[in-house]
Amino acid sequence: MADVALAGRGLVRLYGDGAGVRGMDIAVVAGQIHALVGLNGAGKSTLMRILLGMLKPTAGTVTIEGRRLDGADWAAVGHLVESPLAYGELTVRQNLALGARLHGVPAPRVAPMVDAAMTELRMDTYAGRRARTLSLGNRQRLGLASALQHHPRIIVLDEPSNGLDPAGVILLREALLTRAGDGAGVLVSSHHLDEVARIADRISVVNQGRIIGDLDPGGIDIERSFFDLVLADDTEVPCTRR
Amino acid sequence: MHAALVTEALKVYRSRTARAITVIVVLGIALICASMLLAVGTADAQMAAKLGPLIDPGGWVGYFAAAAQVTSAAGLLGCGALLSWMFGREFGEGTITGLFALPVKRHTIAAAKLIIYALWALAVSVSLVLALVAFGLVSGLGAVTVEAVPAMGRQVALTLLTATIAIPAAWAATLGRSVLAGIGTAIGILVVSQVAVVAGTGGWFTFAAPALWAVSQGTRVSPTQLALIIPLVLGSCSLILVAWSRLQLDK
Repeated sequence: MADVALAGRGLVRLYGDGAGVRGMDIAVVAGQIHALVGLNGAGKSTLMRILLGMLKPTAGTVTIEGRRLDGADWAAVGHLVESPLAYGELTVRQNLALGARLHGVPAPRVAPMVDAAMTELRMDTYAGRRARTLSLGNRQRLGLASALQHHPRIIVLDEPSNGLDPAGVILLREALLTRAGDGAGVLVSSHHLDEVARIADRISVVNQGRIIGDLDPGGIDIERSFFDLVLADDTEVPCTRR
Repeated sequence: MHAALVTEALKVYRSRTARAITVIVVLGIALICASMLLAVGTADAQMAAKLGPLIDPGGWVGYFAAAAQVTSAAGLLGCGALLSWMFGREFGEGTITGLFALPVKRHTIAAAKLIIYALWALAVSVSLVLALVAFGLVSGLGAVTVEAVPAMGRQVALTLLTATIAIPAAWAATLGRSVLAGIGTAIGILVVSQVAVVAGTGGWFTFAAPALWAVSQGTRVSPTQLALIIPLVLGSCSLILVAWSRLQLDK
């Protein structure tokens, strides 16, 4: 049986408007890229927040490498949810060093790690630039570099290609494939079906707070398959949100 | 803790916001006090009559008495603004999501913020008294007198005590998830303190005690009343650490 890097079972967390997560099971396998796709408000971000401890589920459990969140090895996790960990008054290099230290990287290893991360995501020319002066895309690259630089064994990225230019998307793709190849379990959410089809080993479709099925990453018309699944689910389970 | 301390120190040191607040608190208060000295010394009788009581009994002692009045209000707002920025910005700028799922616990990050704030307050309290002395000299007060030394000590203590009573602003910025919530709380503390003093609570209203103590040169506030600041600070800091520890990013 494959090693499960990150798992959630029976997760429930609903907001007042009915949105949220209503009974999700997910297992992200080490060495694989697991993509979540779904319409806006389907519950992808809420699921990721629960998995990372940002939200407590009203039911269900989360484990990271078999351990509950209060005993998890957080140094082994890298994540980017919504906004990058980038402070406008600090330079790219300072932000990355700060991120590395907060991820538990020993001081002597920080500088070479930061250099390697900037090279990997083509941020070298921006090393001395303050984050507030970066474009949206470069801030996103900075956030991704901060999340990935310490080579975490578990990676959780919410819409990681937001704001990235085509070159940035390719760099992200290569970075994730490299880390999955090295054994990391990767969970990404995305609206870009073509993009996730290129990199994902598994694609789960989220709708109305539940995982309603999987898509074949090698399928011919993945977009049609996605909408067929969502439409069938909406027909079967009338929308519960107002 | 070391990583969190380095992080928070770097953020404050590099931030234009923190620098601006520091300059406003140190130079702003000193400038206001020096301006009062100059205004009293003008030929405008009305102005002298209005400001005269504020710098009673005149000289360095009167100058520091005026500084205490200004510090108790402006200092509280400045300290509240810095705390609100330190804690509230993480929510406003969205960086709070990056402070989850780390080996460094969130309550450790909050504690580091408070420690850096305390060091900032210490630096500001010393810088402010030095700036006041410099502006006093420039304004023609002459050499610092022996009688002014206790007043200078009270000025340093007042700045530190003012910094401590502003700490609830950090809690408010956390609960309200915004810088404005913290600043609003600092303003609220200032207004309520003024009202309490007018209402005659004296030093028993802890938020007003430092100002009353400094302005009255220690005569209107007992040590017990002043000591009540300790549970206020401990309580505020505990609430902040608990809030950060239990933080959830719901809608």
